[in-house]
Amino acid sequence: MADLQDISNEKIRQEIEEFVENPDEIERNIETFARVRPLMQEIAAALIEGDDGTVDALTKQALEDKIDALEIMDDGLIAAMGVVGIKFRDNYIFVPEVLACARAMKAGMAYIEPILSASGVEPLATVIMGMVKGDLHDIGKNLCIMMLRGSGFNVVDLGVDTSDDEFIDAVEEHSAPILGMSALLTTTMPNMGKTIEAFIDADMRDDVKIMVGGAPVTQEFADDMGADAYGKDALECVAVAKGFLSVQA
Amino acid sequence: MVKEQIKPMTSRERVLAGLRREPVDRTPVCNPTSVATVELMDLVDAHFPEANRNPEMMARLAATGYTEIGFDSIMPVFSIIQESSALGCKMQWEQKDNWPTVRMREPIWRDVEDVVIPNDFLTHPDTACVIECIKILKKEYGDDVAIIGKTMGPWTLGYHCFGVEPFLLMSLDDPGKTKLALERMKEATIQFGMAQIEAGADALTVPDHATGDLVSGEYYDRYLKDMHAEFVDLLPVPLILHICGRTVDRMNSIAETGIAAFHFDSKNKPQESMDIIEDRISLVGNINNPETLYAKGPDAVRDEVCANLDAGVHMVGPECAIPLQTAIENLTAIPNAVKEWHSRRESH
Ligand code: B12
Ligand SMILES: [Zn+2]
Repeated sequence: MADLQDISNEKIRQEIEEFVENPDEIERNIETFARVRPLMQEIAAALIEGDDGTVDALTKQALEDKIDALEIMDDGLIAAMGVVGIKFRDNYIFVPEVLACARAMKAGMAYIEPILSASGVEPLATVIMGMVKGDLHDIGKNLCIMMLRGSGFNVVDLGVDTSDDEFIDAVEEHSAPILGMSALLTTTMPNMGKTIEAFIDADMRDDVKIMVGGAPVTQEFADDMGADAYGKDALECVAVAKGFLSVQA
Repeated sequence: MVKEQIKPMTSRERVLAGLRREPVDRTPVCNPTSVATVELMDLVDAHFPEANRNPEMMARLAATGYTEIGFDSIMPVFSIIQESSALGCKMQWEQKDNWPTVRMREPIWRDVEDVVIPNDFLTHPDTACVIECIKILKKEYGDDVAIIGKTMGPWTLGYHCFGVEPFLLMSLDDPGKTKLALERMKEATIQFGMAQIEAGADALTVPDHATGDLVSGEYYDRYLKDMHAEFVDLLPVPLILHICGRTVDRMNSIAETGIAAFHFDSKNKPQESMDIIEDRISLVGNINNPETLYAKGPDAVRDEVCANLDAGVHMVGPECAIPLQTAIENLTAIPNAVKEWHSRRESH
């Protein structure tokens, strides 16, 4: 088993020591970062800082050093987003800081994405995400999208105020196995159930796993609506999506 | 503070005393944010979206908070978008069963230089509607009921006009620019607030969503504390700051602004919140909306009311805009529970 001291990057060591409290998460992060090369740790440290300029420069440098794009994504960018998600969930950082981290992730992915798609590397899966009809609160949904992307999913963002047809069309068009719906208003929550009905009517309910979330949504409500799963935060959103995949496999 | 010997008060006197933390005959019941529900709209034939844009309908729907539910105040602004509409934001007016909103994905401003309060800001139909409505309410109910106006703070205007994400990123990247933008936007808060005071508002709600669900407590100190204190100096009526979500970590700073009252969310416990504000300001709240008022029954409402009264919360009411599908009986349960609680205390 790896030890904190096996991580060469001081900033990463500090982050884990200061902000990660759950024993499983500590162990998982130590395992990850102790294994990855120093430059990846540096990329991760810059991403956790929300420093897009440094992530940009280091990603470019890593590619020039002939490091594999997939390695940069997994060991640098995705590993870092894991820490960001934990810090946000546990209230060490807030939405502006997470947005900055997402911007840094994007800076790195701008180099990685074209290489991966040219070499035919598939994302984990495609997830369709949207706010239900009538709902314009999108901060939470956007954070979920970031974490999904930061975990290797391809996400199609339908934005806010999404109609049943838009959800259905998107699932069809992208042959997406997973749909995520978010609602923040009691007035719009029932639209989750309506959209699920619409999938049944379109004879597509079995083609897609549906997860729901948003502050007022509960496990009980998700069950009532006929959703396949509920997630209470962005990390759970990723776990639920991954769970869907392992069931399918 | 409740003194048994105090003589019966009008609703207006009660709310104004509550805002000053003076003795009251019973705890005022008050919602500084929207009281509109679909049932109430049907009752007085004033529906969304029109009731957000027509002063007579707005007044009719708002008054139900007093006439039907038994609150001690009337606050006629059901949305947070009247001034954003007047600033030029793209609007989605929605239907009877949903609140109108700003299309924040299509922001109107990108930089500080763009922040301009238009000359017609107060004569734009969506701000003029509120001003006109307050005049109507003042005339009809002003002697008996506290008429509360509402003027949005610059932080929320920033979400609407810049878009939430660009605004929050700017706040991280360039604090100087963000402060300047807030300084300019605050003119809208002051102008609209003054106009409502002139129209007869007894007090003003100032929503400014710097909530713990989005930004740190340090942000509140950095960007808003002084500005909120300035509002206290510039707007000559009691102000009720509204921030929903988690706020205990910034309640001490809020108390230091000298604001008359803070409208707090159920994510913060009544007793814990009272301990922090230490009798420097009043608290209004904090009956949970989505779980209790919307989804449970009068008994659950009563329990939350009592938790607030037991903690000494100065004014009791819902935590934020009442969910539109809330049953009237859950709302009348609030004043009923307050009255029961007081009569129980007297008989002891
Ligand atoms: C910020 C905010 C706003 C911003 C929205 C900006 C934006 N672009 O999103 C502004 C100020 C514009 C706004 C407007 C309104 N708001 Co508002 N708002 C909030 C507030 C304070 C925080 C919401 C938030 O962003 N939280 C932070 C994010 C990160 O959390 P989250 O969304 O829950 O997401 C997390 C999880 O739920 C989960 N998750 C989210 N989606 C999904 C999806 C899946 C699939 C999974 C697995 C997980 C998941 O992961 C996320 C990350 O951890 C809440 C209060 C509160 N405490 O919740 C009120 C609140 C949601 N708003 C409310 C209201 C009433 C309104 C308005 C109607 C106000 C009005 N009167 O006009 C309008 C309506 C707009 C509309 N039609 O959509 C009420 C809703 C009450 C109700 N009964 O329905 C709330 C609850 C306040 C309250 N206490 O009553 N609001
Ligand atoms: Zn609110």
